[in-house]
Amino acid sequence: MFLDFRKRSLVRRLVLLAAIWTLVVLLAAGAFLTAQFRDAAIRRFDQSLAVLTDDLYAGSTVEDGVVKAPFLTDIRATRAYSGRYWAIFAQKSGGGLSAIERSRSLFDSDLMLSTAQIDRLTADPGKTLYFDMRGPQDKPLRAAAILTRLPGHPDPVVFIAAEDRSPIDDDADRFGRITAFALLLLGAGLIVAIVFQVRFGLQPIFRLRREIAGVRSGKAERLVGPYPEELEPLAGELNGLLVHNQEVVERQRTHVGNLAHALKTPLSVMLTEASQRPGPLADVVDRQAQTMREQVDHHLRRARAAARSQTSGERTPVEPILDELAVTLERIFQDKAGGRGVEIDWRCPEDLCFQGERQDFLELAGNVMENAGKWAKGKVRAEAKADGEGKMLLTVDDDGPGIPAEQRGQALKRGQRMDEHTPGTGLGLSIVDELARAYGGSVTLDDSPLGGLRVVLRLPRAEG
Amino acid sequence: MRILLVEDDPDLSRQLKLALGDAGYAVDHAADGEEAQFLGETEPYDAVILDLGLPKVDGVSVLERWRRGNVATPVLILTARGAWSEKVAGFDAGADDYLTKPFHTEELLARLRALLRRSAGHAAPSLTCGGLRLDPRAARASVNGEPLRLTSLEYRLLHYMMMHQGRVIGRTELVEHLYDQDFDRDSNTIEVFIGRLRKKLGADRIETVRGLGYRLTPLEGETAG
Repeated sequence: MFLDFRKRSLVRRLVLLAAIWTLVVLLAAGAFLTAQFRDAAIRRFDQSLAVLTDDLYAGSTVEDGVVKAPFLTDIRATRAYSGRYWAIFAQKSGGGLSAIERSRSLFDSDLMLSTAQIDRLTADPGKTLYFDMRGPQDKPLRAAAILTRLPGHPDPVVFIAAEDRSPIDDDADRFGRITAFALLLLGAGLIVAIVFQVRFGLQPIFRLRREIAGVRSGKAERLVGPYPEELEPLAGELNGLLVHNQEVVERQRTHVGNLAHALKTPLSVMLTEASQRPGPLADVVDRQAQTMREQVDHHLRRARAAARSQTSGERTPVEPILDELAVTLERIFQDKAGGRGVEIDWRCPEDLCFQGERQDFLELAGNVMENAGKWAKGKVRAEAKADGEGKMLLTVDDDGPGIPAEQRGQALKRGQRMDEHTPGTGLGLSIVDELARAYGGSVTLDDSPLGGLRVVLRLPRAEG
Repeated sequence: MRILLVEDDPDLSRQLKLALGDAGYAVDHAADGEEAQFLGETEPYDAVILDLGLPKVDGVSVLERWRRGNVATPVLILTARGAWSEKVAGFDAGADDYLTKPFHTEELLARLRALLRRSAGHAAPSLTCGGLRLDPRAARASVNGEPLRLTSLEYRLLHYMMMHQGRVIGRTELVEHLYDQDFDRDSNTIEVFIGRLRKKLGADRIETVRGLGYRLTPLEGETAG
């Protein structure tokens, strides 16, 4: 998953980054809010304790060297272990404290200050300081204390007011939990929003990909758009590339046609001249002219096949082509079989489409069916059908002599003529083989149930 | 026998004129499309040898104009371009045969002989059914004068139905007359061919009679033949 970050999906990449950042910010915000809440609560608590110590300090009197605590009305200071306590200590010369008076709520326990706390009080007399400490029943207490001198009392006196702090701790914990829950909800909401935002924001990219796939499968000729300004140039460049590709193929094809035309008429002249003046020279000219014709055909078709594999796919409906070929070939072979002609029976689903150009499918099917017609005693059968994902099969059978299994490999090779009296037979199938390969397909030869040769073409199919 | 040779290459024209003359044909020669079109329309030739790559007007256009103008002279196309797309376009335009350059003169002469033999003996009674017309000798059919391009199996089916027009013909009967042997007599076969015929003739000419078979009838407003 994390092996190569460059390969990760853009959506996941954007969502992941946003999620991490959101989480960090929300965690920090949560921690900060909880801390603020706890501080504020403690400050308020401390203030109420400070009022109590002030009351103790202000209300205490010294009578005959003995400190008298004021009468405090707070009911909680009288009930045992109520949670609110106070005490008055005198500091002895050693630094330790001895209790003078304490609230009744303390019952049988005491408010114990640690030595460090006493030192801090001693260092800062007359100032109210706040401590955390342990009280009766080991409850956590918050305390306010002041060390001061009272007129008429020899030792410094310490006033302490303390209160059970668990309510603030509980409040702070509850606040923390609620905040965490709320922020978690917020975070989840934000991440969902980001997922939607990213998906929506990247929609043009997905659309671009679908359109390119459409061009490749031949459903569209170019990208239509419109696209956002960041993608528009890319779509424009792709369209330019498609047009350029098409032009190159077109130009190639025109050159091919022109060259064929330019060479073949002179070849005809040579052949005709040779046939009209029989002799050894005529024989050589005849043979060489035939070879030249095959060479020209072969190399021009190869050039076409090479141009083919680079172009984006078109879709060519198969049914009308088989119909046209069947009609045309029956016309061509109408004098065969003692004048009865060759009957071409073909089958094809109406919605079957070849992934590629019409011209090329005509060339593939035309050559295979022509070859079958040439050898047939009277019957040719052609059947086209879909064959799994993105493939189609064209099976052509004839009732001719067939080709023995051991010679079939040769039949697909260039220039192999199985019969000198039917020129270019092997050539026809070798062209089919080359063209089929250019389309990533294949040709196989087999025995036909009609008694002759079966040629099976496997070709790319355009999806619905 | 009078032949029109349309070829723009002077050497090839000279040779072919010579060879055709030797074979006993009277030969007229046209070196461009315009001249060829004019000659083909005005002179009664028995056959035309037509090169496709011509100056002024190309061969396929010349052929199309002839056929549109009801010039039915058999035409043998001669071309340097042997791609199937071009062959099919040539036959679509109305060619009767096709020879790819370079060729042997003997082959040209043999094809020409076959062409002339086929076009001889034309006056056979033709079958009609409304605007539909079938000529059993030439094995051709047309709808309202437009030639139909049928394969032999489609033609055979149409022929049988035209001979029994107006009558409901069962599937088994049709299959038996479509194939001479025992193969491929599955029930879909007839539906496939009826579908193709309907595409080419127009859907309404062949009626499906549920459970019984098919019936060929003239369209409403047409008179039965």
